[in-house]
Amino acid sequence: MDTFSTLNAWLLVTAIFLPVLIGLILLAGRVLPRSGVSGLAFLGFAVPAAVVLWFLLPVSGPLDAILRLRVDGPWLFKLGLNGVSAPLFAMTAIVGLAAGLKALIQEVEARTTYLGLILFMFGGTLAVFATDNIIGFYFFHEFALIPTFILTLFWGGEGRRSAAMQMAIYLTVGAMLSLGGILIAMEVAGLSWNDATFAALFQGLFAADAPLPAATGAMTLFGLGTLASLFPFHSWAAPGYSAAPTPVSMLHAGALKKFGLYGIVMIAAASMQIGQGTLGQWFFWCALANLLIVGLICMAQRDLKQLLSWSSVAHMGPIFLGLWVGTAKGEAAGIDAAIFLMVAHGLSCAALFLLANAVRTRTGTYRFEELGGLAARTPVLAAFFIAATMASIGLPGFGNFWGEIGVFLSLRAEPLWVQALVASTVVVSAIYALRAVATVFFGPASKHIEERAAHAPFGDLGFTERLAATLLLGASMTIGFVPSLVTQCTNTDARGIAAAALRSASPKTPAVPVIPPAAPKATTPAPSAR
Amino acid sequence: MSPDFSSLVHWILFLPLGAAALSALFLRRSGAIAAWFSTATAFTIAGLSLQLLLQSSGTVTWHVELAKLGEISLGFGYLIDANARLMLFVVTFVAAWIHLFSVGYMQDDAARGRFFAGLSVFMFSILGIVVADNLLMTFIFWELVGFSSYMLIAHYFDKDFAAAASKKAFITNRIGDLGFILGIALCLKEYGTLDFVALKAAAGSTVPVAVGALLMCGFLGKSAQFPLHVWLTDAMAGPTPVSALIHAATMVAAGVFFMARVSFLLAPEVLQWIAISGAGMAALAGLCALAQTDIKKSLAYSTLAHLGIMGCAIGLGRPDLAVLHMAMHAFFKATLFLGAGSVIHGCHHEQDMLKMGGLLKKMPLTAATFIAATLSNCAVPFFAGWYSKDAIIEAAWHGHNLPVFAFLAIAALATCLYSGRMIRLVFLGEANSEAAEHAHESPWTMTLPIMVLGLVFAVGAGFAAHYLIPASSLQVVHQALEEMHFSFTAPSTIIGLLALVLGFGGALKFYGTVRGADALQVVSPRTYHLLEHRWMDGLYRWWIDGPQRRIIEFIAFLDLMLINGVAVRWIAGGATAALGNLTGLTFHRGQTRGYALWIVIGSALLAWYLLAR
Repeated sequence: MDTFSTLNAWLLVTAIFLPVLIGLILLAGRVLPRSGVSGLAFLGFAVPAAVVLWFLLPVSGPLDAILRLRVDGPWLFKLGLNGVSAPLFAMTAIVGLAAGLKALIQEVEARTTYLGLILFMFGGTLAVFATDNIIGFYFFHEFALIPTFILTLFWGGEGRRSAAMQMAIYLTVGAMLSLGGILIAMEVAGLSWNDATFAALFQGLFAADAPLPAATGAMTLFGLGTLASLFPFHSWAAPGYSAAPTPVSMLHAGALKKFGLYGIVMIAAASMQIGQGTLGQWFFWCALANLLIVGLICMAQRDLKQLLSWSSVAHMGPIFLGLWVGTAKGEAAGIDAAIFLMVAHGLSCAALFLLANAVRTRTGTYRFEELGGLAARTPVLAAFFIAATMASIGLPGFGNFWGEIGVFLSLRAEPLWVQALVASTVVVSAIYALRAVATVFFGPASKHIEERAAHAPFGDLGFTERLAATLLLGASMTIGFVPSLVTQCTNTDARGIAAAALRSASPKTPAVPVIPPAAPKATTPAPSAR
Repeated sequence: MSPDFSSLVHWILFLPLGAAALSALFLRRSGAIAAWFSTATAFTIAGLSLQLLLQSSGTVTWHVELAKLGEISLGFGYLIDANARLMLFVVTFVAAWIHLFSVGYMQDDAARGRFFAGLSVFMFSILGIVVADNLLMTFIFWELVGFSSYMLIAHYFDKDFAAAASKKAFITNRIGDLGFILGIALCLKEYGTLDFVALKAAAGSTVPVAVGALLMCGFLGKSAQFPLHVWLTDAMAGPTPVSALIHAATMVAAGVFFMARVSFLLAPEVLQWIAISGAGMAALAGLCALAQTDIKKSLAYSTLAHLGIMGCAIGLGRPDLAVLHMAMHAFFKATLFLGAGSVIHGCHHEQDMLKMGGLLKKMPLTAATFIAATLSNCAVPFFAGWYSKDAIIEAAWHGHNLPVFAFLAIAALATCLYSGRMIRLVFLGEANSEAAEHAHESPWTMTLPIMVLGLVFAVGAGFAAHYLIPASSLQVVHQALEEMHFSFTAPSTIIGLLALVLGFGGALKFYGTVRGADALQVVSPRTYHLLEHRWMDGLYRWWIDGPQRRIIEFIAFLDLMLINGVAVRWIAGGATAALGNLTGLTFHRGQTRGYALWIVIGSALLAWYLLAR
């Protein structure tokens, strides 16, 4: 058992740093032969997924042991998984592999650098979900974001300059704002940045005499919310994803964006009273607007990639609402479902970006008016695209269903009009998603496609694209059929956080450092210090 | 109860899923193998269902917890009561024969693999609804049924009408599901459970109206009840076996089955609404069937009418009669659709009834079964349809529910009218087109299923249920059957016989007067148009093209102007630009160096702060 935990710890470290290391080699070694580059890069993309697969096997030890793994490296490198981050880490590994497969078959300028930067982004994102230290958490986020800007700027599509600029400003401001809030909280909790783990912050705030300054929760919530495109701080997201190269959109919208949400769950939810009082009301309305207004904006889109980008923003709505009801009403199901939806959305949205790009490379366009009747020429692409669409609109059998239905059920004590507005997403998302499917794939072939097929004949989905899409959709179906894969990790923490959120809202009984948890394991402090 | 039976249910439920996966993954290009493989699976599960029907008694239950979200337990399990057993048998039995029919009907189709995979997915989904032991699981399979229906309607996806019809069916169903979800959430809030058995215990005698009203929304969507009925006629864009299986015999009946299952959650107000809207729907849809020239669309309206009758039975507080009618209807309507399919196949894909005629001699087997099923549809005494429909009319009479009774009487008359018209136009008289002239009888894979379903079941199902199958297997409907006695003085019999003579006979005569055109359209074009026009579709179209479009465009514009334009570019952008001017770096030039530098400055500030602590 002991050797196993050492092995597992090493594997975790390898999963995070091998992509970065290979990225470094690629950035430095421009003289590598092409096949060598591809092989190395593939290794970097595939190893994390292999490690996740190993962790899933019973041989690697019980789940608890994996969640308790801690690697105390130097400086900010305090690594380890927890119940909330483990599913997100696994999702990132799969999305990264799929994005990597896509990147490997792309024909781009300065390919070696391109792959190296994507590996940087991938490694950074993995590290975000595998770090215990809050400052390290921020560090790795910036570490992943910088390649994102560069990749969008130099390898992006139409409108990449303004998109990259807007994104850079928004995300920097958002990160700064939330970091400000967190630094204040650390001050109150009396933590130095070296020992500022999630659990320590929670316990420190719980034990602290002085109350948290009023603005702390707001700064943290809206700062992190900006990073996850909370309405009305969402304007960067759709143009940003649209302009970025496909592997970057996949990784960013699928995995890296969940940084903000994960931060809200781990830092703000339990101890910053974000669901209470005026702040809670703002949170609620912003989340509702995310779902409703952005959902309607999706219906007005006339371009496939724009639609996917916008719908990726709209799908944050249920997640925010789940977090809201979890923190405002102590409804643990909301937090559980929100985490589930983060994971599932990462998979489905990466799959959609991947497949939409497959449409683009074949037809040369994303515009609805030029597309039509593609299913007759590319039946496999159509089948995958429909599956991914169905996943994203919450068809049972895919992971997104559990997340969405969980959020609806967690809102059951709210007034009926709130529930009805939230559930309207079931209809709205079906309208825009199926309209896209019908326009792009069904009906007779459009004039543009006829011409394109005559001049530059195109085939169906290739092997690598199929493999990547199968990975993403297969993972989504796996958690769709066996939802306990995710909930067995998250359930205890979700309950602990929800209970703590309610308790932190009630006036404090002075200065007895009770260890909080409502969770069955009696000594487990709420958010994650297993 | 007994572990044996729950493992039997595992097989019944998951065999089709396995078949679907296999067909979709490996048999996409070998259509013939996929077809026979799917068909063999369908017959296997029909056999297993028959075994379950005859051998098990009481209630078979089985349950596992799939996951826990917060404190909410998400369960998966079976609750096989007498109701579910009957439904399982009817669904699998009808489906098996329709599979066989499809082997012949889809012979020349290039995408047979996809088609049969779709049928198998559908089987999995519908069986899931039947065996489900809780609301959430019902909802899961409910959605899957919607999805498989979508895929099958979109079978001829390169045609615009199929693309539009599939989308319309899915979205309309989802509108109903919206209410369904709210109903589930309300049940969870009120009673703290979603299990049918526990719900029944917790519900007691007075249930809030909202619970039933919301759950009813799901039924309105899936069973195509007013005002969500608009998708069903368009759904005829799918291949004919799909129309027979999904849009006549099973999927639309799932709504009825579900309402029967949760009948203890329906408050009197809800029942009243279902009864009156169902009966009204039955009368209206029956009349609308008179103004359709497409044989499948005419049958689709007939289905709407019968669904109305089933809904009406639920509303009258007789879910057992609804289930009985659902079963009988499945037999004769499947036969009618398959017969129509055979006719369409024989006439080289001609669907216009005005271009048919005289097929009695050219397709004798098809004609004989079609006519037998039609008589069952018209509720001729001792035919299958009579047992259930007559009982429902009888129930309305005894319930002193006069408006409902009146609507049902009109419905009975309308049924006979459109049935007579159909027989007259398609099978009697002379051929009205080249295609009908050269019509030929279909191969055995098509005629055998319609003969089995038509001659044996559409005619004799009621008789068999009454006398042959042991009462213990049919507890639900047994009582209803026991009550059935043929009597000339019963009001339902009088209505039925009058309708038969006036309607059926009249239609045969009336539609013989004009050749190659619709007699009603010739005699009274205004009435014909009134019935043909799709009022609700027009209303929805107006909403989608008018207000809805303007609202979404306005909101998208506001977002661009106010949030992205004014708030960000102007206020926030202005502030940063002012800051940028101070350092000589303007943002709005969009230069890379500019904001790269900002990132560096920010990081430096952060590093300074961290290190200074």
